[in-house]
Amino acid sequence: MATRSGLLKWYPEFFDKYGAFTVFDLLVDYIKSGRIKLDKSRFPMRATYHDPCNYGRKSEEKFGHGYYDEARFVLDNCLEDWVELFPTRANDFCCGGGGGALLTPYQDARVHYARRKMEQIKRTGAELLVLPCHSCHGQIKAVKETYGMPDLEVKYLWEVVAEALVIE
Amino acid sequence: MGTDTETKRKQSAVKEKAPLRPVESPMDICLGCGTCSAGCAMTGVDGFDPRKIVRKVLMGRDAELVGSKLPWICTMCGKCEHACPMGINIVNMIRTLRGMVDRDKVPGMIQKGVELCLETGNNLGLPAEDFTFIIEDVAAEMAEEPGFEGFTVPIDKKGANLLHTLHNKLVNTQNEDLVHWWKIFHMAGEDFTIPSENWEGVNWGLFSGDDESMKIVVGRIVEHMDRLEIKNLMYPE
Repeated sequence: MATRSGLLKWYPEFFDKYGAFTVFDLLVDYIKSGRIKLDKSRFPMRATYHDPCNYGRKSEEKFGHGYYDEARFVLDNCLEDWVELFPTRANDFCCGGGGGALLTPYQDARVHYARRKMEQIKRTGAELLVLPCHSCHGQIKAVKETYGMPDLEVKYLWEVVAEALVIE
Repeated sequence: MGTDTETKRKQSAVKEKAPLRPVESPMDICLGCGTCSAGCAMTGVDGFDPRKIVRKVLMGRDAELVGSKLPWICTMCGKCEHACPMGINIVNMIRTLRGMVDRDKVPGMIQKGVELCLETGNNLGLPAEDFTFIIEDVAAEMAEEPGFEGFTVPIDKKGANLLHTLHNKLVNTQNEDLVHWWKIFHMAGEDFTIPSENWEGVNWGLFSGDDESMKIVVGRIVEHMDRLEIKNLMYPE
């Protein structure tokens, strides 16, 4: 988000010289082109997916494209049983860790913020939460115990891909 | 003459003569409907309320906001502006307020990270030799796993296909999360490289409202691409 918007604003000529890809572009390309093969049976448990603000509604606003479908394509290739949160995509709830919240002294507010997100996750019955954002990852891991979900597994989208890789 | 089509824009006397709307900033068009506040998980916490923040800006009561913690407990998630019927850019307003705070009064770790990044090339202030040691150590451990034999991380590789930067927390306390992308790259046969200096993948000027530092950190990505003649960038975050 910061790098892409900064390049567009201050270094627009960058895009004449170089290609630039999001984590989603790379994962989708590796899967579609057959450069990596994945084994879904590694994740038999129920999972769900969190749309981070920056890759969802904020990318949609700033860059004209929210990365919703790409993540879902990757999940379909890695997981046996994953379900959507509600609401989701552009209407998803923020985890409470955005905007540098993990770095401020206002930690009680940050933990309180997560209550809707955690309720959403709890309702899916998922044992595994997948997400593609370092801030969301840090936040959910930090609050899950407070909200009675100490056993919830939290994994990066690319972590799930890495663990589903068929080793050749 | 004769070349106008129905879709071509024509001069309009009405448009010329009609006065411009007195809109100086997007806040001026706020309807006060409260949709932003109703959708925000922070409304009511420590006096936070996006509708009131927009009103205060509209009324020029900047000082009350700049000196408060309100801009900092917002996560800039954008749900408010996504729902706003008038399209008011509330996140940009919050970030602008953050940028108006004296740099020595920015709360928490954000400013320290920004300053360390400007000075040392990463938010941790980690020296290059320590960075290389950590990367090589984690890579060597990964190379012991079946399927990844012989794996090494190409540092400063000229002409690589893909530039990969790193989130500082992976280099700091969460080394175990470094290997996921490396495993994918290895299996995909990706020709990637990591820079030995200025490898920081995050840019906290985004959070602190500091365009000057943000531009410098983005500029380092461009420098890597030029210096190492890399073809493609993997966006850091």
